[in-house]
Amino acid sequence: MKSVKEKRPAGQKQYYRRKKVCKFCVERIDVINYKDVKLLSQFVPERAKIMPRRISGVCSRHQRQLNDAIKKARNIALLPFATE
Amino acid sequence: MRNYEIMFIVNPSVAEEEIDKIDTQIEGVVTSGGGAIEKIEKMGKRRLAYEIDKHREGYYVLFVIAANGDIVKECERRLRVMDPVIKYLTVRTDDEARRLEKIRNYRQKRAERRNTGAKAAPAQSIEEAMQ
Repeated sequence: MKSVKEKRPAGQKQYYRRKKVCKFCVERIDVINYKDVKLLSQFVPERAKIMPRRISGVCSRHQRQLNDAIKKARNIALLPFATE
Repeated sequence: MRNYEIMFIVNPSVAEEEIDKIDTQIEGVVTSGGGAIEKIEKMGKRRLAYEIDKHREGYYVLFVIAANGDIVKECERRLRVMDPVIKYLTVRTDDEARRLEKIRNYRQKRAERRNTGAKAAPAQSIEEAMQ
C-alpha cells in the first residue's frame, strides 16, 4: 500500500482531470421539474438510461431529485424508457 | 387541501370539442368536490417518447388544482374510464413548493447576514485602528 502512495505524485502530473461540478448547484436550479424535457434529456444519453453520477458529476441530493423527475417524465411519455 | 398536477394524454385523432368536453368534466369533478382549479394548460400535440396503444402522438393537457385526495381519486377514475384518454399522471406539488420556499428564505437570510456582516466589519477595523 505504502509503495502505491509514494508513486502517486508522479502519476498525478501525467494528466489533469477537470473537477466535475453539480449543474444544479452551480446554476441554482432548485426544482427539477418532470415537464422540463430539455433539461432532463441532458441526463439521459442515447440508450435512455439515467446518467450515473460519476459521469455527470451531479451531487447526490440533486441526483435523487433528477431520478424522480426522469421517472415521472417517463411515465407520461415525455421521455423514453429505452430506445430501440 | 393539497396542490396537485394532473397531466393526461388524449388520443390526437379525437376532435377538439371532445377534448374540451373531457376538460369540463374534470373541471366539474374538481369544483363540485370543493376543490379549486388554478390552471388548465393545453400543451398541444406532442410526439410520445414511446408507443402507447399503437399511438405515436398525443395531445397533452395539464391541470393544476388544489384539492383533497378524494377528488383526485375521482378524477383518476374518470380518466381511466374515458376512452380517448391514453394515459394520465398525478403529481403532488405542495410539499415541493414548501421546500422551495424554505430554500429561498434561507438564501435571502444568508444574503442579508452577509450584507450586514460586510458593513460591520470595516467599522470594527477602524475602531481597532483608532485604539
